Amino acid sequence: MKEKRTLQGVAGIMGAFFRDHQRMPTYTEMMTQLNVRSKSAVEFWVKKLLSNGILKKDKKGFLIPLRPFLGLPIVGDVAAGFPSPAEEELRDVISLDQYLITRPDASFLLKVTGDSMIGEGIREGDLVIVEKGRSPKTGDIVIAEVDGEWTMKYFIRKGKTIVLEAANPKYPPIKPRAELRLGGVVTAVIRKYHQ
Amino acid sequence: MSDILFSLHSWPQAILHIDGDAFFTSCEEAIHPELRGKPIIAGGERGIVACASYAAKAMGVKRGVPLHEAKKKCPGLVILPSDYETYSLFSRRMFNVMRRFTPQVEEYSIDEAFADITGMRKAHRASYETIALNMKAEIVKELGITVSVGLSLTKVLAKVASKHQKPDGFTPIPGRMIAKYLEHLPVEKIWGIGHATTNYLNKMGVRTALAFARLPEDTVRKRFTKPGMEIWRELRGESVYPVNQEEKSTYASISKTKTFSPPSNNADYLFAHLMRNLESACLKARNYHLAAKRIVAFLKRNDFSYTGREIKLNRPSVYPMELSPELRHIFVDIYRPQDLYRATGIVLMELTKDANIQYTLFEDALKAERVHDIYRVMDEVSEKYGKHSLHLGASHLIEVFGRGRRGEATAREKTRFPGETKRRHLSIPILHVKV
Repeated sequence: MKEKRTLQGVAGIMGAFFRDHQRMPTYTEMMTQLNVRSKSAVEFWVKKLLSNGILKKDKKGFLIPLRPFLGLPIVGDVAAGFPSPAEEELRDVISLDQYLITRPDASFLLKVTGDSMIGEGIREGDLVIVEKGRSPKTGDIVIAEVDGEWTMKYFIRKGKTIVLEAANPKYPPIKPRAELRLGGVVTAVIRKYHQ
Repeated sequence: MSDILFSLHSWPQAILHIDGDAFFTSCEEAIHPELRGKPIIAGGERGIVACASYAAKAMGVKRGVPLHEAKKKCPGLVILPSDYETYSLFSRRMFNVMRRFTPQVEEYSIDEAFADITGMRKAHRASYETIALNMKAEIVKELGITVSVGLSLTKVLAKVASKHQKPDGFTPIPGRMIAKYLEHLPVEKIWGIGHATTNYLNKMGVRTALAFARLPEDTVRKRFTKPGMEIWRELRGESVYPVNQEEKSTYASISKTKTFSPPSNNADYLFAHLMRNLESACLKARNYHLAAKRIVAFLKRNDFSYTGREIKLNRPSVYPMELSPELRHIFVDIYRPQDLYRATGIVLMELTKDANIQYTLFEDALKAERVHDIYRVMDEVSEKYGKHSLHLGASHLIEVFGRGRRGEATAREKTRFPGETKRRHLSIPILHVKV
């Protein structure tokens, strides 16, 4: 029997493909995925997905998925009561590792030794996850080398100049004179209270 | 001569080879930013240079030389113990980055890998050169180490390419350019051509890779063995060796060597080291379900000369308990009390699958089965409590005297986070900066 295609169903198929392949299918691949025989049928469904805001076209005209359609289902915000088992089955789980570390191949651990970020709640002995190769935005916490010393500071861009600010009044803001060497951007903080 | 064409097409296949630049010390520079650009070496625990940074190389420090010699050449040299735990984390990351671009990645060694990117241009909407450069850029950006990349038609040519420009190099050798790169390359620099073949080729008047690749097929077929023929074809741009993505599942031989310090002439201590190497080698062989038919044991004297013997077993075995009497015979035979030794080693050879071991006629099969059972339990114990937590009495002296480790512990060994044990560490490299 021929199955009736629904918008949800088609979105689901493409979502699954994207999750498996980390890219959108081509029209030819969509033909097999959707079990249709022509590209115009594919086009029909793509248009529907576009008009419903599930897909978007980028500048070059390639399809890109929008967030809600693929966002990793995280085991939800804690609401009152217990989730029903049926609901839970629909959800994928991620480990604490995956939650804390977005780019595992670019992330490093660093043990904090100073108190320059105490106002941010980062204490001596805490572990921070440092991601190499990420370009920092204003407000990010970065590991940077200034005049031969390594520090952890807020990264703040004011017009063309860059200021490194501590979260501790003890340390004045630093304006790197020469080139700023970045060790990475802090993406998470870990503190363990018990062994 | 460099306008000879081996391939009309530029890219009938696209195979790339990535080679870490001074990999061990580059990893150290990535986690100790204050060491960047300084002359450093890894290998302190062995007393020889295992890897020298480019700054150290510039001062004339070479791989394999003793530390005191290296220090003389380069007074400010930073000597670090090898931190294999961190190096293998970096290694795994390097391979993972490569796999983002193609699933066909072969992990060739800790700091080298091949990738077949044939047919990936469409998927990445980029040329082969761009794909290779992107791969390189991501490794540099995310790992903080540099690599040299070679891109060509075959594995042998990709290796030629990655060596062409080092460090931080990128060399594409498309089909039409092969001859140009082979013209000045001595034959002994070709991957797979050893000492003997080099001599043989030189006697034939063949000194460059190009001259070798230009030999007529008949000559090559008549005068060389199968591997020689394969290398000849690979050099001409015809891919023979596939990029093999499977993990290594079998070994031709397994060897275990440990250097200790200070050097010793204590017979019991030396035998304990030899025994421990046998235990380690056998453990590895058992993990791969292999058994050895031949065993080589050797001692390395303090002047780096070797002495050794080989035993041929009447049936394959992987149990130190069965092998220890044989090992004792060899040891008594080669050991001289007047010499000082710095290392011992074991090589297991003629490895066969352990499933089909045939007991000999005059052997107590029941006893052999019992040994087999004992080791099954021992392997379970070491799985749970760590390697060699159960060992033979003959190797116990190592635990008493210590492992004879030279130098300091690595920075990773000196760091222990809450909940970590000596044997179980978080699998993320640590940045050693004070902030």
